[in-house]
Amino acid sequence: MGEFYDDKAQVQDAAFAERVAASLRAPERAHPSFEKRLMEKVLIEGRVLYKTAAASPNNSWWRTEWIIRISPRGGVAIAAGIAALIAVSSVLGSRISARSQQPSVTVAPARDTVQLVRFVFVDSGASTVALVGDFNEWTRGATQLKRSGAPGVWTVSVPLTPGRHEYAFIVNGSRWVADPLAVKSSDDFGTESSVIRIASAGKSET
Amino acid sequence: MKPTRAVEANCDARDNWASHSLVTGTSDAELIAAVLAGDIEAFSGLVRRYQDTCTRFAVRMLGSRVDADDALQSAFMRAFRGLRSCKDPNRFGGWLYQIVINECRTYATRQRRRELRFPPATEAIERAVAPGSEAEADKDVGGHIERALSMLPTEQREAFLLKHVEELSYDEMAEMTGVSVPALKMRVKRACDGLRDLLEGVYNG
Repeated sequence: MGEFYDDKAQVQDAAFAERVAASLRAPERAHPSFEKRLMEKVLIEGRVLYKTAAASPNNSWWRTEWIIRISPRGGVAIAAGIAALIAVSSVLGSRISARSQQPSVTVAPARDTVQLVRFVFVDSGASTVALVGDFNEWTRGATQLKRSGAPGVWTVSVPLTPGRHEYAFIVNGSRWVADPLAVKSSDDFGTESSVIRIASAGKSET
Repeated sequence: MKPTRAVEANCDARDNWASHSLVTGTSDAELIAAVLAGDIEAFSGLVRRYQDTCTRFAVRMLGSRVDADDALQSAFMRAFRGLRSCKDPNRFGGWLYQIVINECRTYATRQRRRELRFPPATEAIERAVAPGSEAEADKDVGGHIERALSMLPTEQREAFLLKHVEELSYDEMAEMTGVSVPALKMRVKRACDGLRDLLEGVYNG
């Protein structure tokens, strides 16, 4: 390259390039919402990547297996949300039906401090279901549930740190639904939310 | 661990990048340490510090603010996820720039695929930069240049922007792109040749 692109040619190109580049060097501003949109994602992922990593140096939460915890609710015609601990790589559909017949709470022995919690919501009339809670700063739309194989069943998995977490579901973009099977909590305005507790020893309770 | 934000920025990733670091706060290394220690929000300091500079490159590279925004969201997330692999936190800017360059390449490829599916008005663009065209008469030189730039092959556009707009040295370019210095020089030369042809009417040769 060097022998074909001599200094003189480089100088000529540099002079031309300078004229062209001058206007291209004008500053550009990121969109005003750029940081906000980015940080919403960062805060959600960061809890797993860094905040929890500090508490669990071996970073092996994803290898930990958890037994599903689901409470049955026969005859519930309206929406029902169920928080469940499940195996990270499990297939949900079959486990729902299997575990739903068992009202007992089963907790797997813990080997780490972060638990992947699968939230299950059942409502055949829902077109969208979102999960809001202290773990996602109560950000509407930050954690969307997806349809599972079973009709009307919506699920999402969220890594939660040990401690008490409040949450609720938002159905069809506007209807606030607290988990009917979980402990309730009300804010100053009487809005009910649900409570799930993640114990560092692997025990959970709602 | 909350970062102290009262100290003037001391971003020494690269000098000309540091010149864009008008955000007051801690150094890049301190912000990164804070994130790794669990202060996730400290990452916003890095976002504020670099978002505009990265936006300029991405917009010029992709010719679309929408695509640039998407590419940068993706690039910053990749940087966030891989923060532990930033071996020299004091050179975070350069490390981030590598990611941005790669992400823009990916998006440029997507643009090409999209254009195959939905052909753009290429003839209109060519008319816009052609000598004697009506569009030329509006003396929108900046617009001409951006359109001409968009018509260069991706690798030439990237090399030209890094050399003459971001004003990197060839060694820095080689480090960031993984392309050899001679190859980069060739790309810049071809870019200049291409731009000279496309802008002949604008600059009267």
